[in-house]
Amino acid sequence: MTMTTSSLPSRFAWLDKGFWQTTPGPFRVGAIILIAHVLFAIAGAFWTPYGFAEMGAGLPLSGASLQHPMGLDQIGRDVFSRFMYGAHIVLLLSFAGTVLGMVAGTTLGLLSGYIGGWFDEITQRIVEAMISIPFLALALVMIIAAGPALAGEPVLIVFVVALVYAPRIARIARAAAMEIATREYVAVAELRGEGTWSIVFREILLNAANVLLVEFSLRLSYAPILIGALGFLGFGIRPPTPEWGLMISENRNLLIASPVTVFGPGLGLASLVIGFNLFTDGLSRMLGQRSVAGA
Amino acid sequence: MSVARLLFSRILFSALTLLLVSILIFLILEALPGDVATRILGRDATAKALEVLRSQLHLNQPALVRYFQWIGDFLRGDLGVSIATGRPIADVLAPRILNTLLLSLLAFAIYLVLALVPAIIQAVNRGKAVDNVISVITLLLLSLPDFLLATMLLFLFAVAVPILPALATISETSTWQETLRAMVLPAVTLAIMMAVYAIRVLRDSLIEVLRSDYVRLAELKGLRPRAVLFRHALPNAIVPALNVTALNLGFLIGGVVIVERVFSYPGFGTLLIDALQLRDIPLIKATVMISAAVYVAANLVADVLAVLLQPRLRTSR
Repeated sequence: MTMTTSSLPSRFAWLDKGFWQTTPGPFRVGAIILIAHVLFAIAGAFWTPYGFAEMGAGLPLSGASLQHPMGLDQIGRDVFSRFMYGAHIVLLLSFAGTVLGMVAGTTLGLLSGYIGGWFDEITQRIVEAMISIPFLALALVMIIAAGPALAGEPVLIVFVVALVYAPRIARIARAAAMEIATREYVAVAELRGEGTWSIVFREILLNAANVLLVEFSLRLSYAPILIGALGFLGFGIRPPTPEWGLMISENRNLLIASPVTVFGPGLGLASLVIGFNLFTDGLSRMLGQRSVAGA
Repeated sequence: MSVARLLFSRILFSALTLLLVSILIFLILEALPGDVATRILGRDATAKALEVLRSQLHLNQPALVRYFQWIGDFLRGDLGVSIATGRPIADVLAPRILNTLLLSLLAFAIYLVLALVPAIIQAVNRGKAVDNVISVITLLLLSLPDFLLATMLLFLFAVAVPILPALATISETSTWQETLRAMVLPAVTLAIMMAVYAIRVLRDSLIEVLRSDYVRLAELKGLRPRAVLFRHALPNAIVPALNVTALNLGFLIGGVVIVERVFSYPGFGTLLIDALQLRDIPLIKATVMISAAVYVAANLVADVLAVLLQPRLRTSR
């Protein structure tokens, strides 16, 4: 990793001409990878070489070729077309789930940290309890609890990601709020007679933006893995919709016959997460935050 | 605050957390709107089958009564009966927990080596090429989903170069060599997944310690570099990594679900997946409770260890 140390003064210097030059290396590489993924996903939503559920696009298991760069699966579906179509699904689910989790977690965490007292105490105990359930187990249990009617629906996946993330985000937001609540401008706002909501969302939220932005980026990095894991275990999006984790699990027994059907989607998923991670790493350096690894 | 009081309050908080976990799990699985029996059997189930299941799960009683009955039995060591197999859950769980414990111990041993060695190499050669190369590798591995890493290792060492079994199916009749060989791939996968987090934390904290005054002093006293590193720097650098290790134990519990699934290892994780697929609610409740208990206990141990290792923390908080 290149250790480009930038001296970025202001928080939102996006409009500066030389902004791109001053960003840390990882941020640039990450941003380029992410832009490529987004463009690929947009293209894949509208056009793929073959239909994503089209059987008999070629000889099953015939391996990688120019027409079928990721080979064909057991029933002759073109893996690359499926991969391309799945790109926007992975991105949209990750984004929607993380945004929803951010909104819920931030609201809860900031209120809890600012108000304090018994409200904070109760919220923290519930947050603690939710974090104590391993996130994959929590996600799977919620999917089962939703019942057969909702199983495999994108809405359910979005809610599950949000619910797994919300308590973890709330903990970060709370810590930031508690620190910011001691600052003078908050005391001034209180003296002005501003209400709790106004202080939390106008004073504290804006000043916690850096911490929350890094947290958002960090959670976004992990969302494709979480969604992929659910798909891999057979509890994610309903087939034949080609979510990448599901594809890896479907093609896993073709590992001997045609490994490219597994490693194609695998490479896509890994490169997406690498892009997110580099981006987060650079972002946290630019904003003067330390990104905390860990689920 | 004395160590004993601190210990006591931490244990109390852990117990409270677990109580809340039990309420959450119960609420999610049994108190959501809608009929539990229909959710288990599906909408095509006959009225008679639904009725049988309802009486089996005591669904005719109010939720509050059911909760206290469940948690009361649970605390007395009666985990209930699995719906799918009709066997007592304790009997179903015991061998699976033992298998996962074995796997985790092996993974943990490998993890210690995989975390310490690269971090020490990086810290000693900080800023040099080796440091950067290891940083890039850990970042790449950090981005690799666990199910993908497991599949890749399986492909490499069981398909491309078939030196290890692809399926880690073990039974009572397996010899210990067979068992060990079967456990290598899943254990290595888990160890790598845990180590990548720890390496980054340990490297940074080790570098910080190596810059500190007392390490300078030890060097100036003329101690051999090796002695400085292992006797003075490492013990102090390990404390931040302890928290990561506790986090990692939490990951390990989730990770075994995926890794055991990929290698078909008959452990706790595959049991949870089976229970979920069969919608065996009593078994799901028991497995999730136990995994949460392990997580809470691991964090408790890490907290206490951190306090014992670094007396400074005893006064703060």
